[in-house]
Amino acid sequence: MDEAHRVLERARSEGRRKLLEHESLRLCELYGLPVARYGLATSEDEAVALAKEIGFPVVLKVVSPDISHKTDVGGVVLGLMTLEDVRKAYRDIVTNVPARAPGSRITGVLVQKMAERDLEVIVGGIRDRVFGPVVMFGLGGIFVEVLKDVSFRVAPLSEADVEDMIREIRAYRVLEGYRGSPPRDLESLKKLILGLESMLSELDDIEAVDLNPIILYQRGRGALIVDARVILGEKP
Amino acid sequence: MSSLKDLFSPRGIAVVGASKDPTKIGHLILKNVVEYGYGGKIYPVNPAADEVLGLKAYPAVSTISGGVDVVVVSVPSAKVLDVVDDAGKAGAKHLVVIAAGFKEVGNVELENELVRRARKHGMRVLGPNIFGYVYTPVKLNATFGPRDVIPGNVAFITQSGALGIALMGSTILEGIGISALVSVGNKADIDDADLLEFFDEDPNTSVVLIYMEGVNDGRRFVNVASRISMKKPVVVIKSGRTEAGARAAASHTGSLAGNVALYETAFRQSGVLSVKSVEEAFDFVKTLSWNPLPSGERVVVITNGGGAGVQASDTLADDGLYLEKPPQDFVEEVKKIVPPFASLANPVDLTGMASEDWYYKSVKTALENREIDAVLVLYCHTALTSPMGVARAIHRAVGEAGARKPISVAIIGGLEAYEAIRYLTNLKVPAYPTPERAAHAIAAQIRYRRYREYLLKRILPGG
Repeated sequence: MDEAHRVLERARSEGRRKLLEHESLRLCELYGLPVARYGLATSEDEAVALAKEIGFPVVLKVVSPDISHKTDVGGVVLGLMTLEDVRKAYRDIVTNVPARAPGSRITGVLVQKMAERDLEVIVGGIRDRVFGPVVMFGLGGIFVEVLKDVSFRVAPLSEADVEDMIREIRAYRVLEGYRGSPPRDLESLKKLILGLESMLSELDDIEAVDLNPIILYQRGRGALIVDARVILGEKP
Repeated sequence: MSSLKDLFSPRGIAVVGASKDPTKIGHLILKNVVEYGYGGKIYPVNPAADEVLGLKAYPAVSTISGGVDVVVVSVPSAKVLDVVDDAGKAGAKHLVVIAAGFKEVGNVELENELVRRARKHGMRVLGPNIFGYVYTPVKLNATFGPRDVIPGNVAFITQSGALGIALMGSTILEGIGISALVSVGNKADIDDADLLEFFDEDPNTSVVLIYMEGVNDGRRFVNVASRISMKKPVVVIKSGRTEAGARAAASHTGSLAGNVALYETAFRQSGVLSVKSVEEAFDFVKTLSWNPLPSGERVVVITNGGGAGVQASDTLADDGLYLEKPPQDFVEEVKKIVPPFASLANPVDLTGMASEDWYYKSVKTALENREIDAVLVLYCHTALTSPMGVARAIHRAVGEAGARKPISVAIIGGLEAYEAIRYLTNLKVPAYPTPERAAHAIAAQIRYRRYREYLLKRILPGG
């Protein structure tokens, strides 16, 4: 995984412990994790070209090492349906952000396929001082925020562990399908969890990963990581 | 064989700091070693004495001729390093460092140096900051705790000192037989995983109980605990289950991954039975060490009171165990002895008229039925029968039944009930004062059975 190491080294060399969003997504891709299609634009024309290639609808998000709450500074525009929309959104972002967050560096603008909304789940990982790489799974929204309904497993994970950790959460029935809601693509979810485990186990520079949200579609339709955050450990 | 074999079965053991003063810890340890009946060589080391407790005393470990595998170090922490070198020269294999005053009081460097030097001499270190250890198969009690621990098949590892010594006494009171008891203290070198590796292979141990504050290498613990749990149940009391603030975390996952959650995960993953209290731990250890492993999950509850039966079945349900109708041939047998109005679903209610003989017959029939995997017997003390009489009837049924099967008994009542419980536990029949505890204890065996199946699936390739 040379490219993965190069991504981490670049961040280190620039004194960053947090990967930029396109870097985090790239890392996911390198480990075979399904991410919503994306590209990094550094000009209006590039943004338009990327949108064309990716297909509508798209979202645009500012990429900056200095900004963690992109929405607060006008750095996110959702639901873009036309090339004109993309042009305008790009211009808005590069004017709004410097005005609202003076002095912040702008690496570019992420053009990302807007994933069809559906059930949101979260998969994460940390490197624990005692247990080493640990992965976490839960449903998004109030399940994780309020009820803290999540499960963990210590690496290395077997197939049985992944299955067991998915079943462990109290809201498991939601994944099986209930009332009008269809059963979810648990095979994709399992692969995703195992892929994250490989990433954590192989790249020991990583301290934590949040894949949040991931849209988990119905059985046979896969999953899509919409937002990824990768944090590096304290050592150089 | 595990590298700890010589620790548990040493050819000779030296006690450094074996004072003539009967109030000193070194003296107490030597006294326990001698009086519990250790059969190997015992060497008091005390430069100021010619003999201690009738044994020839030596000025240094290196002046002893003959094999010394274990050196118990009961001198102040400042003098420990000198003993390490002396013991190393003598060719000892294990140091059992009783002394406190190391990492637990911030003396990290001294503790590191202790391990470094011991390693240099090829020795392993148990401790420091411990009350010693016991291994009953060779009648070795090198602790300053109670002397007369009961020999048995439970290995007990404790990270707590005072509580550990107290619980050592409790095992005697509770009738729990011990194969080994190990105070691990600061775990500077030998830790839970090392000990689990030894107990995994130790034919004298069939259950391990751990009182744990924490481990240093969680991943290794999971690995080793998973392996032993496929063969022998491991019960853990993990201290510190409440958590003040979670760690300050830059990630969402980090903020959710508290210490408690991770330990619980690790235990679940390695098939370790995590318990909340000392009482629960001892309750579990009794069924796990005295009963055979159940070959299925079909539990039959026999009672003389509806209330006790409901309490038990609710407890079983909380443990994920739902009672099914008992097998028909069993029901037919019981029908012959009980009044026609008795409810013979599960729980099987012998009614308040139940005699000692009814208990004897129904328990024996249940134990012998091939479609019953475990039997939970509940008895409420009534005017018609005496607890001791019922206890005897149950024990007779267990003894005469053709098959060995997990059994758990609740005898509910006053002082007579208490005595009947003691009677049964002395005979290694798990008995408890409440239906909930008896039910929870038998459920622990089913829980372990499920964990074991899970581990086989998780660990064995292709499984």
